[in-house]
Amino acid sequence: MVFLAQYALHFRFEVFLRIENYVTMVAMDVFDRFLFAYTIGTHIILVTMSITLIVLISIAEFIGIRRGDRHYMVLSERLTKVFVISFGVGTASGIVMAVEMINLFPAFMTLVASTGAIALFYAEVFAFFLETFALVIYVYYRNAFSGKYTHWVFSVFIALCSIGSAVFITMVNAWMNSPNGFNFAEFIATGQVTGVNPWAPFITPTTFAQVAHVVTTTVFTGAMMVGAYFAYKYLKTSDSDGKAFYTKGLKLTGIVSIVGIILSGATGSHEMGTLLTSQPLKYAALDLNYLPGTNLPERLFGFLQNGNYVWGIEVPNVQSLLAYFETGTKELPGLTQYPLSDWPPLYIHTSFDVMVTGGLLLGLFLFIMALMWIMRRNPFGSRFMLYSQGILGVLALVVYELGWMTDEVGRQPWIVYNVMRTDAAANLTPSLFVPGLLIVVFYAILIPLTFYFFARVFNARGLSDDLSGEAPNGGVNY
Amino acid sequence: MLEASQMTFQGKRRMGVSTINLIFYVTFLIFSVFATLLITEIMGSVLMLLAWDRTRSKVLGYIVPIWEVTGTFGVFWVVVVDFSFPGILIPAAHIYAVAIMLFLILMVARNSSIVFGEYIMNKGWLDEKKLYRAYSLSTIALGTVVLVILSSIISGKGVDLANLEFQLGPWLSSGGSYAFIIGTLLIGVGLAPPFFGLKELRFLSLPATSTGVGLSLLSYYLYLPALLSPYIAIPVVITLLVPVLFSMEKTNALMANKLVFAVVSVVILFSLNFLVYPNAFGKALAVDSITTAGPMAGAFITITVLGGFLLAVMLAIYLFAVRKATSSRTAAAPGK
Repeated sequence: MVFLAQYALHFRFEVFLRIENYVTMVAMDVFDRFLFAYTIGTHIILVTMSITLIVLISIAEFIGIRRGDRHYMVLSERLTKVFVISFGVGTASGIVMAVEMINLFPAFMTLVASTGAIALFYAEVFAFFLETFALVIYVYYRNAFSGKYTHWVFSVFIALCSIGSAVFITMVNAWMNSPNGFNFAEFIATGQVTGVNPWAPFITPTTFAQVAHVVTTTVFTGAMMVGAYFAYKYLKTSDSDGKAFYTKGLKLTGIVSIVGIILSGATGSHEMGTLLTSQPLKYAALDLNYLPGTNLPERLFGFLQNGNYVWGIEVPNVQSLLAYFETGTKELPGLTQYPLSDWPPLYIHTSFDVMVTGGLLLGLFLFIMALMWIMRRNPFGSRFMLYSQGILGVLALVVYELGWMTDEVGRQPWIVYNVMRTDAAANLTPSLFVPGLLIVVFYAILIPLTFYFFARVFNARGLSDDLSGEAPNGGVNY
Repeated sequence: MLEASQMTFQGKRRMGVSTINLIFYVTFLIFSVFATLLITEIMGSVLMLLAWDRTRSKVLGYIVPIWEVTGTFGVFWVVVVDFSFPGILIPAAHIYAVAIMLFLILMVARNSSIVFGEYIMNKGWLDEKKLYRAYSLSTIALGTVVLVILSSIISGKGVDLANLEFQLGPWLSSGGSYAFIIGTLLIGVGLAPPFFGLKELRFLSLPATSTGVGLSLLSYYLYLPALLSPYIAIPVVITLLVPVLFSMEKTNALMANKLVFAVVSVVILFSLNFLVYPNAFGKALAVDSITTAGPMAGAFITITVLGGFLLAVMLAIYLFAVRKATSSRTAAAPGK
């Protein structure tokens, strides 16, 4: 009896342990995804701000020097302080990203490090390094160079390196979407990386499309966000100097936003086209094509229920027209052509539609702004336009984040498309859970605090003080 | 006389080893620069905590323009390790999971507190001093986490390579761990006065540095006597020379030159490479076995040379800017 009781107890304990292990392993896989998505989603905000700020700083400084316009010079100096904060917190956040990738997805990083994808990271770090040195010279040694445009040249250099860093990182993402440069079959069969061409990941079938779309949307989103803040400040300011200052700021962000939305639309359309050949399953999920077909409708929102499309609007033939400019001949992919286990979560159709709708709304707003300029009317004289700019600045960020979410979730269940699954790459160590939660809490406090500091630093001195002279050491406390 | 076949074998081995060595040594050199930057920040942090009013101006004058470079070097080193040692990533992710997460939190805390400190205008409860103190504490804590990881990579204490775990108990139960951490921090305290040119703290420099060096040597002995190679004489002598030269009137200006100090520090740290090469984790893991090879090694060298050249050009421009700024400040100073 005692033996049986002991056996039963042991058996129950074993079962419990197995369940606990199973739950822990599954939960840690999900937790790893959540933590990385959370931190990269946060990091993206800082990166967007940094890249756009340096572009705006450079343009403002150039106009300021060229026209001798003190407003633009002050704008450039104030934005530089914000940029340094964004860069500082963003650098730390970048380290979090770099190390989290090893910590949360070690098998993925081992594959990256064994192939040319790591060379992209390495090149990115060099670009980042050059940017850092140029930034230090630009901010802390601004009086070291006497030439009229020398200081400005460093801002151009920072902008180029900053965009360069973003380009290389996006190239890594493009490689994850369309991997190359090693023997897939051998890797899938044996886990060994052979036939490595370290330079191949620099050009994949999706590289150009992705880089073009990411760079343009990043600058566009940042410009809309900064424009939103300028609109808010314009509405709050009563003195004429302040109005003039923020009008110039809004002009700057407005022009960058208009150029940005045109390029974002064009590159987005091109990127969607590349999915047809590089990731047809993702394409099918985005357009909710259950079955393949030659004259498919465009589906706006809605869901799939037992293979049937419900709760949405179908516009006949439009999807085929958009993809191939024709109907009836060329086939578009459908989900049923692929195993169910390879399908991404189908909510990416909704996130994609929200993203496109948001993009169209932003485009309409900027079209009206451009039209007003063409008709020689001041768009910022209208309170409606200013309020719209404020709201749409936030919407731009939502659209941007949704774009990344759609891209990344759309590649699931793969971390490297058709080569390595995300759950196989994850670190299942349960000890990651608590420090991971600490990171979540820490970021939740840090990011609002950072934006609060952006505003405090931007308005640290009165506008009249700034317009009358320069702050010592660029306003740095040391 | 060697047989022809033996010569060929040795030649091949030498060729193979030299390729692998180059990657290891480049990685270790980058680590030495990163560690130098981090150590100088830790030294400044200690001084700011102990004597804020007396050291503020000199310490911040150095740290404020350099902390971004330290952070960037941190990313640089992480990516270089990824590139050079792909075989260590999975073990490292499991062994140091918690330590790495702590490092990340402290890194973000360090960066955000210093950058907020740089620009804060509010003189209320949260002021510049509090933020720089938060920076100092997070930097020292971050340095301590790095030291714990480093000590375990050198000694293997607390590291279970079979189960890919780091156990704090065995690490703490080794006397070498305490000696390593305290010794390294004491060296930092001892070298701070020369680095920041604080002549009034000169009396502290040699005793603290020599005690730190002694404790570090003791830690290696307690960890594993085999770690004490004759090469240890090189870093020991150079480290002790710094406070000695700083105490002499004729040479103290040389030691207080930050560039000279940085080069000396990189040489000291680089000369410690025998602690982890050819075998790390208490001589248990052959570094060559986890080092990248083949076309990836070629790509590593190519990008390093190209990127290194660009960096060297940028560094030259940076040093030019620093010299110009320093000379214009000197010229503008009263009495000049």
